[in-house]
Amino acid sequence: MDTLQHLLTGLAAAASLQNLSFALIGCILGTLIGVLPGLGPAAGTAILIPLTFTLDPIGALIMLSAIYYGAMYGGTITSVLINVPGEAASVVTCFDGYQMAKQGRGGTALGIAAIGSFVGGIAATLALIVVAPPLARVALSFGPPEFFALMLVGLALITGLSGQSLLPALVMAVLGLLVALVGIDPVRGAPRFTFGVPSLYDGVGFIPVVMGLFGVAEILLTIEKPYRQVIKTNLSSLLPSRPEWRRALGAIGRGTGIGFFLGLIPGVGSIIPTFVAYVFEKRISKTPEQFGQGAIEGVAAPETANNAYANAAMIPLLTLGIPSSPTIAVLMGAFIINGLTPGPFLFKERPDLVWAVIASFMIGNVLLLVLNLPFVGLWARLLHLPYQYVCVGTLLFCVIGAYSLQQSVFDVGVMIACGIIGYGLRKVDLPIAPLVLGLILGPFIEKSLRTSLEMSGGDFSIFFTRPLCLGLLVIAAAVLAASMLRLPPPQLRESNP
Amino acid sequence: MRRGRQIACVCLLGIFLAALITSLDYSLTDALGPGPGFFPFWLSLIGAVLTAGILVQEAREPDPGPLEWPQGPAALQAAAVPVALAAAAALIEPLGYRPTMLIFIAGLLPVLGARSPVGIMLTALAGSFGVFHVFYYWLKVPLPLGTLGL
Repeated sequence: MDTLQHLLTGLAAAASLQNLSFALIGCILGTLIGVLPGLGPAAGTAILIPLTFTLDPIGALIMLSAIYYGAMYGGTITSVLINVPGEAASVVTCFDGYQMAKQGRGGTALGIAAIGSFVGGIAATLALIVVAPPLARVALSFGPPEFFALMLVGLALITGLSGQSLLPALVMAVLGLLVALVGIDPVRGAPRFTFGVPSLYDGVGFIPVVMGLFGVAEILLTIEKPYRQVIKTNLSSLLPSRPEWRRALGAIGRGTGIGFFLGLIPGVGSIIPTFVAYVFEKRISKTPEQFGQGAIEGVAAPETANNAYANAAMIPLLTLGIPSSPTIAVLMGAFIINGLTPGPFLFKERPDLVWAVIASFMIGNVLLLVLNLPFVGLWARLLHLPYQYVCVGTLLFCVIGAYSLQQSVFDVGVMIACGIIGYGLRKVDLPIAPLVLGLILGPFIEKSLRTSLEMSGGDFSIFFTRPLCLGLLVIAAAVLAASMLRLPPPQLRESNP
Repeated sequence: MRRGRQIACVCLLGIFLAALITSLDYSLTDALGPGPGFFPFWLSLIGAVLTAGILVQEAREPDPGPLEWPQGPAALQAAAVPVALAAAAALIEPLGYRPTMLIFIAGLLPVLGARSPVGIMLTALAGSFGVFHVFYYWLKVPLPLGTLGL
């Protein structure tokens, strides 16, 4: 009953004209980010954070969440029309979406992707409403040792699934944790790794680092890639035919389930649910030979799974304070900038905010459907924008974003340095995602570790004598061991970053 | 690729070792338990050991192929981006956002291959004066005005 009451209050807040406008602007900007080459959801969400500086926290988070799932859908358009995924999760959509476009069925591919995304998003949000409150209540009973172990599980999952090899991912996670230590020690107040530079006393800003690693580095990589031709296809007929509906409906249902359940596991990443949904559809299909040749299920299943995942991935963030992916980490950064720490206490202390944001997911999914079905032709035209203008526009927003957070030129320098570092890391195939997640989780991990050890007087047995904590540590160790043995098939692992 | 990865790992190893040595300046433990140096010390140590592990692994595995770097105009364009960004960072406070970004966009677009003077001019004006107006006046985001108030 409480949940229903909170949800209705949240819906009322999210449906206010002001917040509705923020959601609409967020959906438009997010789709734009997804459509434009060289900008993934993580960088896109990060560079648009300055737009929300003067908004109240609810409005800011509604807008940033809308940017996030807008970007997740926007990537589909490029997958279908130019065979280039706008973001990693849309890789699978290229297989059949591009083939459909070549056969003159591009409109149908984009239409079923929009419908599937809507169904997956709404279903996952409804499940989030049911699952999140009890999970948050359980997490409220966690002490510092359990939180430390929980964050280790999150980090283990993220590193274990983020690259081709465990060692590089672990090194990058450790580097992220180490960079997070720069600044004033939160427990004792002593400066660490500041080298007498006053700008480092507040630590290395998360936003400039993300903008550099994802935004600037991505621009540098885009400059190298040859420009792709936009395919001419029929975009006037968006709705599938009756036989196509019959084939797509089951795929949408199964994609929703796969996306939602995989979204609950931190570190799975957005590409795995889409691959699993695609492979599952192909395996149960009576005509598997049509996959890769323009099968509508090959678009419906991964696109639905992608959006269901995007909404379900908010559950670990909102209930446990663990970001599942770099984009969710950026959203976590946005919470922190607004003076809020995602996790179970947020449900207790700011239910108005949490429920307004959750309710906005439903509104946002409706807005995305409304935006994407009638305006698909308009989005497609944006693909003709010369990349030079897109690159310069992105860099401009990176400079504004890095500077305006603290009015600091130093932060712009951090962004440029991280851009060059990110470019180099991508070139030598070292994963960036664990670094970013280590950076955002670093302060929380250190604080919970040190508080735990203070509780026990420096005795490490505190982590092994509390059953829940021990269980979580065993899970973390098992995840790392499984990654070392390469249990998941390599093709299902998240691509760099 | 292997050589590039080895160089990256040596750099990382240097960072971890430097952090390890620096962390010894902070106390590892104090009266309340772990001190400010505790977490950095162990992290740096773990990072250094893991990086050494990658170096060993790299030496034992076959080279996946040469690293592909941009050639010709693409190399110039890729180099121009950080240089232009650094110049913008240096000028943004003394000169102000609007003139800096006008120069940044008008200078970088032709290097990246844009050829239409009208397009370049309009983009530069929109990105400098237009964006400033939106952020500074509408969104109340503080952007630098420079010593001349521009």
